[in-house]
Amino acid sequence: MGKEVVLRAEDIHKSYGRLRVLRGVTFDIRRGETKVIAGPSGAGKSTLLRCLNLLTMPDKGKVWLEDVELTNPSVDINKMRQRIGFVFQEFNLFHHLTALDNVMIGLTKVKKLPKEEALRRAKEALLTVHITEDLWHKYPAQLSGGQKQRVAIARALAMNPLIILYDEPTSALDPQLVGEVLQVMKELARKGVTGLVVTHEIGFALEVADEIMFMYDGIILEKGPPNEVVFSPKHEATKKFFEKIGRLYGERR
Amino acid sequence: MTFWEEFLPALMSGVATTLKMLAIAMPASVALGILLGTLRVYGDRISSTVATAIVVTFRGFPLMVTLLILFFGLADFKIYLTPYWAAVLGFILCSGSYQSEYVRGAIRSIDIGQSLAARAIGMTKLQEVLYIILPQAIRRALPGISNELIYMIKYSSLAFVVGVQEMFAISKSFNYRYFRPIETFMTLAIIYLIMTTVATVGFKWLENKLRIPGLEISGR
Repeated sequence: MGKEVVLRAEDIHKSYGRLRVLRGVTFDIRRGETKVIAGPSGAGKSTLLRCLNLLTMPDKGKVWLEDVELTNPSVDINKMRQRIGFVFQEFNLFHHLTALDNVMIGLTKVKKLPKEEALRRAKEALLTVHITEDLWHKYPAQLSGGQKQRVAIARALAMNPLIILYDEPTSALDPQLVGEVLQVMKELARKGVTGLVVTHEIGFALEVADEIMFMYDGIILEKGPPNEVVFSPKHEATKKFFEKIGRLYGERR
Repeated sequence: MTFWEEFLPALMSGVATTLKMLAIAMPASVALGILLGTLRVYGDRISSTVATAIVVTFRGFPLMVTLLILFFGLADFKIYLTPYWAAVLGFILCSGSYQSEYVRGAIRSIDIGQSLAARAIGMTKLQEVLYIILPQAIRRALPGISNELIYMIKYSSLAFVVGVQEMFAISKSFNYRYFRPIETFMTLAIIYLIMTTVATVGFKWLENKLRIPGLEISGR
């Protein structure tokens, strides 16, 4: 792959008191790639994701977005976060804004685009995630979980990010709503939107991921093409995890 | 001239003075309450300490004493406030301090995910507070703020201690002259009741107007 690196994490460490959540994580992701982070609860997956846009400050280590080192204190992190989409497990849509305004507010207030331009881009993003016009003026409390998460993806997408980080985007959803969100994520992956996804949805990983990184106890224990990591892992812990996940989730696609 | 022919026009001029005080003090106290409440949560060490000091002071002082200090006390320092402005300033400081507590509580009740999402799309702290946190927090604080403003309508009568010729001061002086307490004070009380009722209806309307669809409880 000759494509340039979009995001690079180098030797990320994070502890909470004596609990060492991340113990030196290094990886990079190139333009257009989709990578999946899997691993048991408490392995540090969500903490790692938040360390990448500094919603959590790593104790040690460096993060680069393209050629800018985010962990350099003189970098304006607010400016850089505009280029890093983040999708939360709990959606975190702004409760007081309609679906359309949730997507627009970053464009008008943060990017300071003119209203018409912001409106055009917001609508385009919403249509990309299959949120149709009848839902644009609904408030989050009037939307289903799947719709909320798709609006949240549109909110990230509209900012024209270099990468989207997904933190267990389907874990808070009713099972019958998981499919519509995964479908949107797959479509984005196929369109070449760079994505880093923490998920237990192995079907998603097998279908669109370029690589699975298996996290265990604060490190990336092993990584590689999804088929290899899932079906012929090198480590016992990896094998156990995917066997268990396979039983729970089946081969859902 | 009968009692009523003399009393009613005088009372109406007092009503006008009361309304003139409230017209400034109500919106200004809301603004102060939001500012103080926000600074106590989001301010740096200095600004949050100053905000806390203001709140503790003006919630701790009896309003009547605050008014006397503003009008007579400040005069010792060559700061001369008119009775009207001393009263208005006192109401703003007192009510704003109380209101700030509702705002502070409301801000604290907004879940952390709202902040995280705001930061994640690149908002600065100030943008996060202005566009995401306060619009939600103010809605939650509104019932408490309304309560304080209704109190203010009633304790605006305390302005008489610094010599403002508002509706209570005028009624009191009529009662001295004619000693007809039932007529004077019942009339006055009814006017306060009308004002507080109008305010109650107004705030209810505002709460409905600002309601976020889908967040209401529709069951029983």
